[in-house]
Amino acid sequence: MDLPAGTRNYRYADDMAIFRTRTQKVLLALLFILLFTAPLWMNRTWLGVANLIGITIIAATGLNILTGYCGQLSIGHAGFIAVGAYTSAVLTARLGMPFIAGLLGSGIIAGLVGMVFGIPSLRVKGFYLAISTIAAFFIIIWVITHWDSMTGGYMGMSVPQASLGPISFKSEESQFFLIMGVTVLTIFFAKNLARTRVGRAFVAIRDNDLAAEVMGVNLFRYKLTAFFIGCFLAGIAGSLRAHYTGFLSHEFFTLTDSILFVGIIIIGGLGTTLGPILGVVFIRLLDQILTHQLVPFIEGTKVLPAGFASGIAPMVFGLAIILFLILEPHGLAHRWQLFKASYRLWPFSY
Amino acid sequence: MAELLQFVITGIAVGMVYALIALGFVLVWKSSGVANLALGQIVLLSSWITYAALVQMGLTIWIGFLVVIIFAVFLGWIIERVFLRPLIAQPILSLITVTLGLAYFIQGIVVFLWPVSVAALPRMFPVEPIRIGPAVVSQQYLWAAAISLFLFIVLSLFFRFSRMGIAMRATADDQRAVQACGIPVTRIFTLSWIFACVLAAVGGVLMSSIGGVTFGLVETGLKSFSVVILGGLDSLLGAIIGGPIIGLAENLGDGYLSRIIGWAGIKEIIPFFIIIIVMFIKPYGLFGEERVERI
Repeated sequence: MDLPAGTRNYRYADDMAIFRTRTQKVLLALLFILLFTAPLWMNRTWLGVANLIGITIIAATGLNILTGYCGQLSIGHAGFIAVGAYTSAVLTARLGMPFIAGLLGSGIIAGLVGMVFGIPSLRVKGFYLAISTIAAFFIIIWVITHWDSMTGGYMGMSVPQASLGPISFKSEESQFFLIMGVTVLTIFFAKNLARTRVGRAFVAIRDNDLAAEVMGVNLFRYKLTAFFIGCFLAGIAGSLRAHYTGFLSHEFFTLTDSILFVGIIIIGGLGTTLGPILGVVFIRLLDQILTHQLVPFIEGTKVLPAGFASGIAPMVFGLAIILFLILEPHGLAHRWQLFKASYRLWPFSY
Repeated sequence: MAELLQFVITGIAVGMVYALIALGFVLVWKSSGVANLALGQIVLLSSWITYAALVQMGLTIWIGFLVVIIFAVFLGWIIERVFLRPLIAQPILSLITVTLGLAYFIQGIVVFLWPVSVAALPRMFPVEPIRIGPAVVSQQYLWAAAISLFLFIVLSLFFRFSRMGIAMRATADDQRAVQACGIPVTRIFTLSWIFACVLAAVGGVLMSSIGGVTFGLVETGLKSFSVVILGGLDSLLGAIIGGPIIGLAENLGDGYLSRIIGWAGIKEIIPFFIIIIVMFIKPYGLFGEERVERI
């Protein structure tokens, strides 16, 4: 722990505190105030971006628990998000259940589906697991597009507005509070999970699964738990996404999205709570800059054929993933740690 | 009966193209331990290059084909030299995700340069169907199978008799021992990537001459993963045998399952079902080496 000079922990509670000093608490409070007054000072477009960022953070946090902490690479994450989205849509639109049931139900169903496809992880790892999650993705999407009576098949289906009791989340602003609320809860959960017995077991499995098993970590239970939690959060993100857009189509969930999620946690930093947040913000802001600044500029020059624009984002994202892997494999979270350390010690860094 | 024979012949022919692409994967995996998940995108890119050479630049087929091969060699060299060389001896997670980033990047390039997303290649093989016994098979498939078979033979001769081929097999067997013998391992990595890209390019040209240049080619690349999984990751023989099996399963499933049970489009996911089933039953494939790990 990097505490300021002179701060000592006398009680166990002090040692365990996430926010230890008064400065940290004040900064946290300021962050919350800034975050939850965002609808007052952000315009519509940026609020939409913020909502998308929130949803993506939830999904990326799930993947981070699965891949970053437990070391089980999944390239089918978009598939599990799709499971969550369609479960929520079916529960609320077809069965008339309340939104909260759809939200939790989508998490649980997505988690269970994830567990089923996670079973091979007990015998294989690395590339084998990556391939079986790709296979899982295609099977899930195929089921969605062919189970017409439930999911509307290729036509997609419409999803009712989210509502909690008397409050209905119709406008962009109210959606923002819902999504950010869930996002904050998710981050809090992820941060604490990493410090529990379960989280430490995940890290042990990631670092060396055989050694972990010899030490008494039940691989079967913990790997499946990791799949459940990771896909549970994916399902929650999917449900929020479904109610946010109000319409679902299988085209929202692509293999390239799955790849992007892996890229996000790499860019942010594997196995850190901060990582997914930084990664998502980085990717989404890059996306905004590319599609709203760069593309109109290039279109103005009329050098390239029409329709080229949708290629720019994948190109830049792919390059970003590769460059981060080569130049900064610990991700942005590590950079942030270095910055904090140098800030704290400045100007006497020795 | 005629129908069955037709499905079998088409299935085996398509499967051999899958095997060809899968072979490139196995080569890279065996020599450098990198799982090349960008395979589908490399197939896609080289098909578009073929389109550019043959249609947009109007080259004749043979010169165009030569251009594509040269491009594939260059692509393989670039990928290994620029993207994978800095990551030697990194954890497997980085090695997998770097190819994912590459896949994303290449897909972006394709959309960027050819936003039309669908195109047809000029006819390379005669299309008149020929009769084999009672079955009527489109000639294109047979040509694709013949070219794949020819390449298998050339490759196995290369690995058996050429100095470089033997060095590549030795690298696959034991990297450290090979280094101690003074064989330049990095050059072998480069060579295996070049092979992989050329095989993917040939596979891409064969597939797209039959079905046109579409994004479906990415899935062709992904399907060749099921070949690799079925045959075993580190077995060249496994890839060659696994390919026709996947092609057969795909075509028979398409021919019978979709009609009898009424599951349209089941063809697209049969290879993925096979992956899941193999994972549950025999995760290291038919001919793969089961790795015993020690702490």
